[in-house]
Amino acid sequence: MRRLRGSAFAAGVAMLAAWTLLPIYLVAIGGFGGPDAVYRWPKSFWPENLSLDTFRRFVAIGGIWQATEQSVKVALITVVLSLALGVPAGYALARLRFRGATTYRLVILLTRAFPVGILALPLAVSFARFGLYDTALGVALVHTALALPFAVLVTASLFVGIPRELEEAAWVFGCTGPGAFRRIILPLALPGIAATAVFSFVLSWNEVFAAAVLTLRHRTLTAFLLTVLSESPLHIQLAGGFMLIVPSVLFIFLVRRYLFAMWGIASR
Amino acid sequence: MKERFAIVGSALLLALPLAFGAARAKAQSIGFLSTQLRPVVETTRMRTAILKDFPQKVAFIPTFPEQLLIQATADSKRAKPTLSLFGALHGELEPLVPAGLLAPVDALAPMAKARGVPAGLMALARLGTMHEMYIPWMQATYIMAANRKALPYLPKGADLDHLSYQQLAQWAANITKATGRRMLGFPAGPKGLMPRFFEGYLYPSYTGGVVTTFKSPAAEKMWAFFKGMWKYVNPNSTNYNFMQEPLLSGDVWIAFDHESRLLDALRQKPTDFVAFPAPAGPEGRFYMPVIVGLGIASHAADAAGAAALVKYLLEPKTQLLTLEETGFFPVVRVAMPSNLETGVRLEAAAIQAMQSAPDAKQALLPVGLGKHDGEFGQIYMNTFQRIVLRGQTIGSALAIEAKDLQRIMDAAGAPCWSPDQPSQGVCQVR
Repeated sequence: MRRLRGSAFAAGVAMLAAWTLLPIYLVAIGGFGGPDAVYRWPKSFWPENLSLDTFRRFVAIGGIWQATEQSVKVALITVVLSLALGVPAGYALARLRFRGATTYRLVILLTRAFPVGILALPLAVSFARFGLYDTALGVALVHTALALPFAVLVTASLFVGIPRELEEAAWVFGCTGPGAFRRIILPLALPGIAATAVFSFVLSWNEVFAAAVLTLRHRTLTAFLLTVLSESPLHIQLAGGFMLIVPSVLFIFLVRRYLFAMWGIASR
Repeated sequence: MKERFAIVGSALLLALPLAFGAARAKAQSIGFLSTQLRPVVETTRMRTAILKDFPQKVAFIPTFPEQLLIQATADSKRAKPTLSLFGALHGELEPLVPAGLLAPVDALAPMAKARGVPAGLMALARLGTMHEMYIPWMQATYIMAANRKALPYLPKGADLDHLSYQQLAQWAANITKATGRRMLGFPAGPKGLMPRFFEGYLYPSYTGGVVTTFKSPAAEKMWAFFKGMWKYVNPNSTNYNFMQEPLLSGDVWIAFDHESRLLDALRQKPTDFVAFPAPAGPEGRFYMPVIVGLGIASHAADAAGAAALVKYLLEPKTQLLTLEETGFFPVVRVAMPSNLETGVRLEAAAIQAMQSAPDAKQALLPVGLGKHDGEFGQIYMNTFQRIVLRGQTIGSALAIEAKDLQRIMDAAGAPCWSPDQPSQGVCQVR
């Protein structure tokens, strides 16, 4: 019985792994295999004639590095802003009693209720008036607005989970309010905050619409690739897709240990 | 732990001022926003080959057609606009006029006429105003291509350059009979250009019109024929966006598409494929020329530079280079050189044969529909889905869609355009 359960578990794990890895694998052999591999029928499942040709051509596309730099910038600003605004708001929701707290909790979701498509023109025009059009900060502001509800609600539930007594003990021993937050609460909440950071980063990295409408010369990588690749030959599209997957996977690996610590499992 | 947190935090903070600084830097080049030459291969060729000999620096920015209006509007509201020139299809430039985003280019018209831009195109470029609102830049059209393996199955007496739709259907039927596979293909996928096949080719060739004749008896006959032919069309057609891909993979042998979306197949394997004109119907061999124009922004950062760039792009030498690099054909008078690349030469010959066929007639892209252009194409795709894919009765399907078509024409207030006869007031479905 136990063996049966064990193998069922293994099969489940294998399925889950295949679920995410198989598409990435197919994208990779498409990107590395060149046009012949993509157009041949029947398709071969094993990589043949791998070459870096497509990637070399891809990397040589004018403006691709500038776009990558822009994407990293926008994503980092988004992470900073959504943490800087989201963590205090989450703390307030969790610890402080104030009128309209529950309404606030609901209203905060409103930013996600309006489709960006409808807001595109007015948003672009007002950004142009404020001098934010076509800047990293402008795109990051929109991404922050999209990421904030998540950041606030996640950190709020995080702070609720941290016993109030710990904080009070810190006060008793002479910590100021902010000091107790920094010394006691923040380290305990770090895994959850890391998760929020990952979410904001990935959201910003993947977001296309606002990034495409609000920029002209300073495109983010996703918006840039969408315009240049959507009508390009398949193997170049696959190479581009692969290049998009890699950085976000890398980022997730970097913060992975904080994520796991969230459930009390130390996996260092 | 604390230390690491501090390091990450300060790194993030450092990123902020960096981001502010970069947005401001960079000397101004001529901002050229274009909905055409968007695929990366074409964009690269535009930047590295076509614009290479122009003395000033040009920032060529490809964009999606649906974002052109938003980006042009936003840019015009900036303290310092950065765009000077727009390159887009006739129908995409049209909505920029009521928004006041295009400056008249009458000053450039004599240059264009002197270089041989046809008077008909110049008239079209007025976009319903008293002034030239854009200068024609390049043109393209839709043709057919086939794998040489299909040629032995051509029906008796059929000439590739003078095919009729009946012969095309017979040809595809012969292949299915011999091989058991459905080898004719159409770009009926979500990003395919199938609506243009109905608007500019099938409808006019069978009914002599596209709006007025929408539910005429000739149209009913046409749909019955097309439904019969679909038995030999690869069912994957509803997924195809670019026919060069299924042609190269051997999924289809005969295909209809925009010439730039066939070019890759003809380029990569010029000995495997042939290009030929679109077929003819009872009303003639209708084809649809696609015009790309250059419009100067009314808030242009560098209007003089933009005008110089227009002149440069219309030079015969540049136009030939554009043809070789992108497959878009010249709008000015040029002599075709003999050393043209094989893929382009095959297409040029097919287009030449189509234009000079005795029964050749032109159907224009929809004129005056503005933002309703997409809905207009959808009517033809809906009708196609009802009749061919879902098997609804032709008469009732046409009656339902005709109502929608009339609603769009009323909403846009558009008079008839060629191939329909000119109308007084809004174009009416008869």
